[in-house]
Amino acid sequence: MPESSETITLAVDLHARPAGALAVAAAQFAAAVSVSTGTKTANAKSVLGVMGLGATVGQQVTVAADGPDAATAVTTLIAILADAAPVGG
Amino acid sequence: MSQVSPRVGIVLVSHSDRLAEGTADLAGQVSGGTVRVVAAGGTDDGELGTSAEKIGAAVTDAETGAGVLVLPDLGSAVLTVRAMLEDLPGARVVLADAPFVEGAVAATVTAAAGGDLKAVAQAAEEAWHARKL
Repeated sequence: MPESSETITLAVDLHARPAGALAVAAAQFAAAVSVSTGTKTANAKSVLGVMGLGATVGQQVTVAADGPDAATAVTTLIAILADAAPVGG
Repeated sequence: MSQVSPRVGIVLVSHSDRLAEGTADLAGQVSGGTVRVVAAGGTDDGELGTSAEKIGAAVTDAETGAGVLVLPDLGSAVLTVRAMLEDLPGARVVLADAPFVEGAVAATVTAAAGGDLKAVAQAAEEAWHARKL
């Protein structure tokens, strides 16, 4: 199975709305996808797991995927994290 | 999981109209607004309690062809939901045993991603294991 990963520095806190967008997008991929802060790792397809990371602005977050569409999954989720607007909630 | 397929609808049954409405707003926003999340809170005269009529109307409103997940806030709402389901024979409705807010958010996000009724119910029930800290 192809593996892929990429790290990004968060421009905003990982609040509920970006976590939701991330989980909805992650669920479209066959690959297993995780989001990790270094100390905590969550299944990217679980919105509650992603919110439970408590990832904040300036933190490095790694998206890793393992499966047939791993590379696309990582690119897509990194783009969502990069685009997350700096708003609360 | 195609974008055009109908989404599972979510009905939030609370003893409080404001709790149901607020949770529906939250779940709708977190999931991007593509899922029908319908609040059924309070009694018919606006008091704290539950209403089989409100729940039945909410289930009908939430059904877009993929079934409906009903989430009660407290155990005592379950009785009203069960009574309502007896009045809607043949409805594709699953009653979830899940924490109200977390279950609503997890279920709605899974529905937005195109999950079927079984997957949406499972997402709600897995919310028991989600840690906040």
